[in-house]
Formats: sequence, C-alpha cells, structure tokens
Amino acid sequence: MKRREFLAASAAAVAGAGLMPRFAFADEHTIELYSGSDSNIIDLWNNVVRPAFEKANPDLKLKVVDAQDNNGLRAIADRALAALKTKTDPKADMFEHFDPRLPTDGIKEGLWVKFSTENTPDYAKVNPMAIDSDYSLPYRGSQVLLAYDKTKLDPKDAPKTWDALVAWIKANPGQFIYNRPDKGGSGGNFVRRAIHEANGRDPSKFTVANYTEDFAAKALPPAWKILNDIAPSLYDNGSYTAGNSQSLQLLAQGVVTMTPVWSDQVLQAIAQGVLPEETTGLVQLTDLALCGGFSRMTVFTNGANKDAAMKLANYMLSSEMQEAIITKIGGFPGVSWENISDDLRQKYADVIPQTIPTFPSGDWETAVNDGWYRNVAPNLSRS
Amino acid sequence: MAVTGIATAPVGNLGLTRRGLTGLLLVAIPVLLLFWLIIYPIFSAIYDTLFLADQTGTRHFSTESYRFFFSDGYSLNNLYLTLWTTAVCGVLLIVTALPIALYLRFSTSRLAAYVQGLAIFPMFVPSIILSYALIRTIGPNGAVDIILNSVGLPKLPSPYLSPWGPVIGLVWDNLPLTVLMLVAGLGSISNNAIEAARDVGASPFRVLAHIILPRMGNSLLVAASFAVLGIFSAFTLPYLLGPASPEMMGPFMQRTFNDLNDPLNATTQAVVTFGFCLFFGIFYVYSIARNREKS
Repeated sequence: MKRREFLAASAAAVAGAGLMPRFAFADEHTIELYSGSDSNIIDLWNNVVRPAFEKANPDLKLKVVDAQDNNGLRAIADRALAALKTKTDPKADMFEHFDPRLPTDGIKEGLWVKFSTENTPDYAKVNPMAIDSDYSLPYRGSQVLLAYDKTKLDPKDAPKTWDALVAWIKANPGQFIYNRPDKGGSGGNFVRRAIHEANGRDPSKFTVANYTEDFAAKALPPAWKILNDIAPSLYDNGSYTAGNSQSLQLLAQGVVTMTPVWSDQVLQAIAQGVLPEETTGLVQLTDLALCGGFSRMTVFTNGANKDAAMKLANYMLSSEMQEAIITKIGGFPGVSWENISDDLRQKYADVIPQTIPTFPSGDWETAVNDGWYRNVAPNLSRS
Repeated sequence: MAVTGIATAPVGNLGLTRRGLTGLLLVAIPVLLLFWLIIYPIFSAIYDTLFLADQTGTRHFSTESYRFFFSDGYSLNNLYLTLWTTAVCGVLLIVTALPIALYLRFSTSRLAAYVQGLAIFPMFVPSIILSYALIRTIGPNGAVDIILNSVGLPKLPSPYLSPWGPVIGLVWDNLPLTVLMLVAGLGSISNNAIEAARDVGASPFRVLAHIILPRMGNSLLVAASFAVLGIFSAFTLPYLLGPASPEMMGPFMQRTFNDLNDPLNATTQAVVTFGFCLFFGIFYVYSIARNREKS
C-alpha cells in the first residue's frame, strides 16, 4: 500500500470512528412520539413541528408514529405501565393526545410526568381553561361550529341561538344531521350543547370530579328530551352519521344544509376544495358556543428520552408552534391569547372565539355517550 | 365407516397402535394450539361472565350479566337486528349465488369465465373501501341518484344509515365465498344423472328440484353456515353503513368494551354471540361429518 493511500484510509477510519459514537448518540436521543389523531395532525407534526424542532435542537431527533386511534395509544400505555413495574424501557416517550387517567393505575403508579413551571418553563402561558389534569399539557384546541350551505340558507338567516337553531331544524326537516357522539366530537359536542341548554347554559356546572349517578340522572334526561324532540326533523327522520368526515361528506354532497363540524376540519376541507369556499357558511351560537376540545400531550416518566420529550413539550408552547397551529391547521392555541401576536389575533378573531366552553370527559363521557345511544338513537317514531 | 375400514386394513394390530401414536404426536402441537388460542379463551370468557368478582376480589356464581342482557330492551334490539340482518343476508346470498353457481357449473361458453371472475372480484376489496364506495354510489345524492335524475326518474330513498345499508354491503362482500362453495358442491353432481333425467323427459325445473337440489343440501348448508358466521360478527359495514341504533353485535361489543370500559358486559355479549354462532357451527360440523360417513 502506498503511503498516501494508507494515510487517506486511516484518516477515513478515524473520521468514521469519530462519526460512529455520534450516530449512536443521536439514536439515543430520538424522541418516540405516538399520535392517535387524524392525518391532518400527523402531517402537522411531520411537516412543521419536526423540522423546526430538530433545527432548534440539532442533537435531538423526533420520530412521529401513527398509533391509529386512542385504542392504539392505550395499548402502548398499558405496555409502558408494565415496563414501569419491571423497570424496562417502554420504547415510547410521549403521546400527542391522551387522557392520563388511563390506564386506571397510571397516575398512582407514577407513569406520567406531572407538569409544572419547574419542569416546563412555559407552563404559566397555558390557557387555564384548557388544563384538565396536572399530568397532561394542552397544546392545541379546536371548536365545533355549524357549517351550512349558503345557496340554501341566507347567511343573514343563519341561526345564532339554540332556540333559533331548533326552530330552523324543525322548519327544514331532513336538512340537519349530526354524528354519533362517541364517534366524533362534532356530534358529541352538539349533544353536549343540548346538555348545557337543558342545565342553564352554565358550563361550570359540569366537572370531571362532580360526576355522580344521581347528578347524571337529573342533568341528562332533559337533554335527551330536547334531542328527541328534534330527531324526527333530522335527515332521514333521525339518522346519525358514523363520524365527523361523513357529516362533512353529506354537506359536500348537498344532502343536508347544515351540520356541526370541527373548526380545523372544515377549514381544511374548504382549503382542499372538498367544500366550496364561496358557498360554505360558518356560524357559532352566540348565547353559548358549542363546546370545543383540547389536545393534551402526556410524557412517560420511564421513557428513555424523558428530558428530551420535556424539551419538546415546552417547545410546543413556544409562540412559533402555537401560531403554526392557528395558521397551518386552523386550530386554536393551547396558550392564552395574550401570548399570540396581535395580527394573528385580529385575523382569526372571527373563527376563534375568546372563550371556549368545554365539557369534562372521564365518567361523564361514558354517561353521555351511552345515555344518548339508549335514549336518543332508538327514536321510535322512525319506523 | 371408518372403523370397519381400519379393521380390514392390511396392518397388524401392533403397527396400528404405533401408527396411531405417531399420528397423535403429529397433531399434538396444532391441537394444543387450538386449545390455547380457541378453547381456553371460550371457557375463560364463560367463566368470567358467570363467576363475578365482588369488591374483595372473591368470585362467586352469578347470572347477573346475562339477566341484564336478556332483560335490557336495548341489548335485545341489537340482537334482533343482528339476527334479522343475518337471516335476510343469508336468504339473499343463496338466492343470488345459486343461479350464478348453476350457470357456472353448466355453461360451457367462454363468457362463464368472465362471470366467474366478476363474481369472485368482491373477495379482493377490503370492506372499508367497499363501505365508502357504497356511500358514494347508493348514498343520498350518490351515483345511483344522479343517474336516475338524469333520465328524469324520481330519487329513491337511500339505504344508507338504515338497516338495509349493511345488508347490501354484506351480501356484496360474502357473495364470492358463497358462489365458490356452491360451485364446488355442484361439481359433485354427475352429468349422467342430469342427462338420464332429461332423457325421460324431465323439464329443467324438475331437474333442478329432483336431481340437483337434493344433492346440493350439504353444500347449501355449508355455504349458509359460513355466510352466517361471517355476517353475525361483521363490524366495518354495519358500523359505517348502518343506523346508530339498533346496532349490530359487532359495533355494539366494540363500543361496550372500548367506549364504556365495560369488559364484563362486552364479554357477555360476546358469549351470547358465540352461542348463536355455535348453533350454525354445529350445523357445519354435522354436515361435514355426514359427508365423511358417506364417502
């Protein structure tokens, strides 16, 4: 071997050896993030969050895994809980959207990181209305609106209160549909709006902790009565679509005139041309808005990259990411509005309201969903 | 009969037991797997629904969850809808598959190959794709409505979100298997028998009623059992095309288990579903056993 070749080869070997530990190092700091959300959210994470985060933190990498749905996430959470007991690596660091009350013993066993300003410097920015548990970090929200076809309903006649909406539904039989409350939040929050209507339009009356069977037995039946009352005037005398996108589809096909929709999904449908921009109207009830929902991240205490995951969690509260949520997916921020730039606040003021009524999950969710299936869905006048 | 066959086989008694033992050893692993993956979960599900744990964790016998299922109007409605869908689909499947199978068995033209290809095609379409395709075609303002409208005919009420939606989807989905089984069953009917009947002047209808159908009983039973077992626990098509309520057992079980976090009642529903399927399974096993005895 010639001297020059030898030198080149050894230099390459040294350079290679120098690179190797860096590869291994990089591999150790790949944050494994699992999401059960729809593809628009996975796209946001892959196309917006990941490049920006990796640029800001060159030593960290982010891997976004689509767990399909909440059940997929639950299986991984169960696995992580088992890994916690055997002190092994759960091969997962954080969830994009999850309820830390699951698995049942998770919080008690210390599966989830408890968020505070100590471990998440920007925690104080979080919208207080969005906080549901100390073990999850709200980072984005969306709201349910009513979308309608302007060719069939003049925007100036669009109902702006619950009573006007009910009157419109009854005056236009077959022109309104909402989806099953457990299969998509747009219908779910329409049902919750009826519950608010039946209970004095006060969202603060319902909290995760105040669920009791007695209270539910008092609070829910009046709402079933309201919903049963409008059922015969719905599409096909009381049919309910199987999900958010099916409702949007019926609106797009001109089958119905109005349907509840998620703000981010309808804006995206308009942007993609699924719904025509000039004839799709959006309206929110002014007496009490339809409920919204927040997506809350959770971080495993036993994940191999817990610290990196916490860094990412805090990064999601940065104004750059929060504004991306508004501009890219038409969602609204998890932080309070004063942390958002003025132009953006003004530009989206119409779509994104200042207050977002929410309805607690936990036991209420089960009671509302099953109650609806048992009391509203089998609308006897149909047959 | 199998027993007499063995007795007259030219193998000594000793050789027979050794061969029997080797045979048993060969099937031991699959049989154990069968026990572990199928038999054990069934008995465990039945045990879990009959012996309920109280707050201290001790189990005691109780039929509470079954009493709830069979006294709960909502659950019973779901069960009735499932039975209705299964029965309607079963009848429609036989009615549509039998003529196709007869044609494929007796036609000698080249067209038959294309018909067969067309009949088998649904086998390769996943049911989720089929669901969305059906929403687009037979759904409201779908392709069918557009065609009817373009020739000046009135709109038809759409089966989408009514109990007929899943029926259409399930018949479409199960047609290939039914056709294949019926064609296989028709294959065992000899041309000679039919020609003999024709020679003595039997009309095509009499040939069908007196020669073909009596020999088809078994394969009709097998085809119907298979279709019923598939339809009874169907999930995707009833979920996407069917009404919110009553719902078929598949979506009902899934919802009870996942959304209501109620494994006990979900398992009870599963055991009830299994009981009905077992009924058809026994038919199937019975007809297979009868076939064996004959041959």
